[in-house]
Amino acid sequence: MRVADLAHGRSGDKGDTCNVGIVAWDDDGYAVLRRELTEEKVAAHYGDLVKGTVTRYELPGIRALNFVLTGALDGGGTMSLRSDHLGKVMYAWLLRMEIGGA
Amino acid sequence: MTGKVVRLGAGMAFWGDRVQPAAEMVERGGIDYLCCDHLAELTMSILAKQRARNPEHGYTRDLIDLLRGALPGCIEKGVKVITNAGGANPRAAAEKVLELAKELGFSGLRVAVVTGDDIEADIDELMAQGVGFTNLDTGAELATVRDRLTHASVYTGCEGIVEALRLGADVVVCGRVTDIALYLGPLIHEFGWAPDDWQRLGMATVVAHAIECGGQATGGLYDGDWQHVPGLEELGYPIAEVSEDGTAVLTKTPGTGGRVDIGTLSEQLVYEILDPGNYLTADVTADFTNVRLEEVGPDRVRITGGTGKPRPETLKVNMGYRAGFVGEAQFTYTWPHAWEKAQRGLEFLKRRLDRAGFVHGEEIVEYPGHASMWGDRVPPPTDPDIPEIVVRYAARCPDAEQARKVFTESVPLYNNGPAGVAGVGTRPPLKELYAIWPCLIPREHVVQSVELLEV
Repeated sequence: MRVADLAHGRSGDKGDTCNVGIVAWDDDGYAVLRRELTEEKVAAHYGDLVKGTVTRYELPGIRALNFVLTGALDGGGTMSLRSDHLGKVMYAWLLRMEIGGA
Repeated sequence: MTGKVVRLGAGMAFWGDRVQPAAEMVERGGIDYLCCDHLAELTMSILAKQRARNPEHGYTRDLIDLLRGALPGCIEKGVKVITNAGGANPRAAAEKVLELAKELGFSGLRVAVVTGDDIEADIDELMAQGVGFTNLDTGAELATVRDRLTHASVYTGCEGIVEALRLGADVVVCGRVTDIALYLGPLIHEFGWAPDDWQRLGMATVVAHAIECGGQATGGLYDGDWQHVPGLEELGYPIAEVSEDGTAVLTKTPGTGGRVDIGTLSEQLVYEILDPGNYLTADVTADFTNVRLEEVGPDRVRITGGTGKPRPETLKVNMGYRAGFVGEAQFTYTWPHAWEKAQRGLEFLKRRLDRAGFVHGEEIVEYPGHASMWGDRVPPPTDPDIPEIVVRYAARCPDAEQARKVFTESVPLYNNGPAGVAGVGTRPPLKELYAIWPCLIPREHVVQSVELLEV
């Protein structure tokens, strides 16, 4: 199972920091994602795409997890050499992640 | 539900965004205020550069395109316009708005100019008064980039907008006020909220955040069941019907494409936020943690649960500074041996650059169409029969001369490298780099002022 089977997402930039918001479709999915998407596992999944840290925040009212990835955009939107200099598709890499099911 | 409701429309989300949604929401969205955000980090650097070349430039000129469509309706219906399109030159933008009003045959239009965000001329004096401007990310001293600065803008709050509306402005043209201030300003003016009513300001900030990126709240950029979002080609932009307690019903212009529901709004609520419990703005520290959405009708969603805490004692300053140029080349190799040829072509380019005495900083190699978004997380192709591979090489260079070499040295790939190459292209325009210097300033050093002009 992939994160994409349980959730949808969006990502964007704040300087060299990228945030990835993951929204579960239902309560059961949210519970699975809270269990599976630890900061450690997410950091490992992004590997060297993230030079800094991964921090997770929760928004239970909308069943969302917000991951803040520092040092993730090659110096930030104005400096980055990346085609995705604003981190717009970083969410999709997390949706691809394989996880254990319910 | 009873009680006063203020209807805010998000007419614009960035410089270059479509201008039609603003005119549509003025015509049939029943809005009281048209709030337009035109600024981003890079935008300010570009605008400062334009102002340096011509003192009448330095604002986002799409404001005039937008108002050409929306202003007649705004005047007819009494819709007020709040915008930060002034960028690096709000006064010039306001003059242009007056010029447009005259051209369209309107008189009596009051245009306010809100300034106070541009501190570039005061940096030395402020440093003498003890403002450090040390880099928030790196801790470095401003002196290291001082001679390369393009601008210095404070993310200012909504005070100036509230004052402009009190003075009776019809159009409020600001420089670098926060996106959120464009929405809080009219709400404080209408509801008379105290400047330390953190609960209401926090809730209203969550509302503003939900709609301030325009079409991203109504089905644009939607990842969920994107296949089922109707009418993206005529996407309507979002409208917030805000109540006195700061909560709102979010909707969009009737008769437009797109969709407003829990799915589309949830994605936007988590867009570009860091710690949801401490969303820092110039006016309030908002808390998104317990935000809730409830569908109350077709394309109608009630948003509640936001709150707030005291605003930070310091304001965010973004300075821009020139940071060199990008040297860039792209080429495509085809079957047979596309991947191997692409590697040989890349080696060819790098060796030729070495011989040309190429001086550069960080570099990147991407393979658009195969692996250009997620770096080395995507392995090389395993299919030996792969039809083609695109190579994109880019490097940060100290000056234009070095950056130009990347293209020049890629041209011989056409007839000196392996066969099967195409798409080397023509000389691209060089891209200059602007770095951002994020820092803080105690808020007592920043005073907004409001000037009212009339046609």
